Amino acid sequence: MSDYKSVTISKGRGGWGGPLVITPTADKPLIYSVTGGGIHPVAARIAELTGGQAFDGFKSSAPFDKIAVAVIDCGGTARVGVYPMKKVMTVDVHATSPAGPLASFIKEEIFVSGVGVNDVVEK
Amino acid sequence: MTSSTTESPVTVEEEVLYSSTVTAVGEQVATFVEGHGILVFFGVDSPVELHDFSALHEATVATAGPRTGDVIELGGARIPVLAVGSVVEANLLNLGHIDLKANGAPEADMPGDVNLPVDTLVVPSAGDTFRILRPAGPVASPEDRS
Repeated sequence: MSDYKSVTISKGRGGWGGPLVITPTADKPLIYSVTGGGIHPVAARIAELTGGQAFDGFKSSAPFDKIAVAVIDCGGTARVGVYPMKKVMTVDVHATSPAGPLASFIKEEIFVSGVGVNDVVEK
Repeated sequence: MTSSTTESPVTVEEEVLYSSTVTAVGEQVATFVEGHGILVFFGVDSPVELHDFSALHEATVATAGPRTGDVIELGGARIPVLAVGSVVEANLLNLGHIDLKANGAPEADMPGDVNLPVDTLVVPSAGDTFRILRPAGPVASPEDRS
C-alpha cells in the first residue's frame, strides 16, 4: 500500500507545537475527527492530501491503533491531552497551548494547534 | 427527562438556556474536580475515550451557552459564571461539551474555559440536573464573551 502521501501540519496563528508530519498507512489509515458538526474541514483536507480515511468520532468509535491523526476542536482542557496521552498525533483547530490536568502529555512532537486548512501542506 | 429530585426553584425572572441530566460520572472525575478544580461534561454520544474523566449528560433544553453573569446550577447548587471563552457555546451546543473551572479568574485563559469562583465545584452524581440560567433584565456587555 504505497498510495498514501505525507503532509506537514504547522501551527496557525496563536498556535503551539508541531510541525507534525502525518503519513497514514494500511495499518493506521484513519483521520479521526473528534469535532462538532461532522468531519472538520481540516480533517477532510488531511484525508484528501494523504489518501487517509476521514472518520467521525462522534458517529462511531475507532480503535486507537488505527488512527493516523486525531483532529479536535478542543478549548484547552480535556481532548488536548487525551489523544497525546494515548500516543496519537493530535491537531487542535483552536489555538491552545499545554494546560489542564493532562498538560504533561502535550509535547510539540505529538501536538499542534491553531491549525487551519491552509496549514496542511503536501510534504 | 428532568430529574424529579429537589431543585432550587427558578424565579420567573430567570431564563433556562440549557438543562440536562447527568447520566454517568467517569472514574477520573473526582481527580479532576478535587485535584484541579475542573469539571468536564460531554454528551452521551461522545467517543468512549472521553468518558473516564467526564460527566456524561443528556440535554432537554439547549438554546445557548453561558456568558458572564449567568448562573450554573448543578445538583441544586447555584454558581455564578465569572468568564467564558470564545468556543464554549459551539462546543456545548454541538457536543454537549463544557469545561467548568473553579479558578476564580476574571478572564478565560483558554477558549473553552468557563470560570467559576474557587471551591464551588463538587463531584456530580448520576441523576443530577445541570442548568444554565440567565437573569432577566440588563445583561452583561458583549465584550465579556471574548
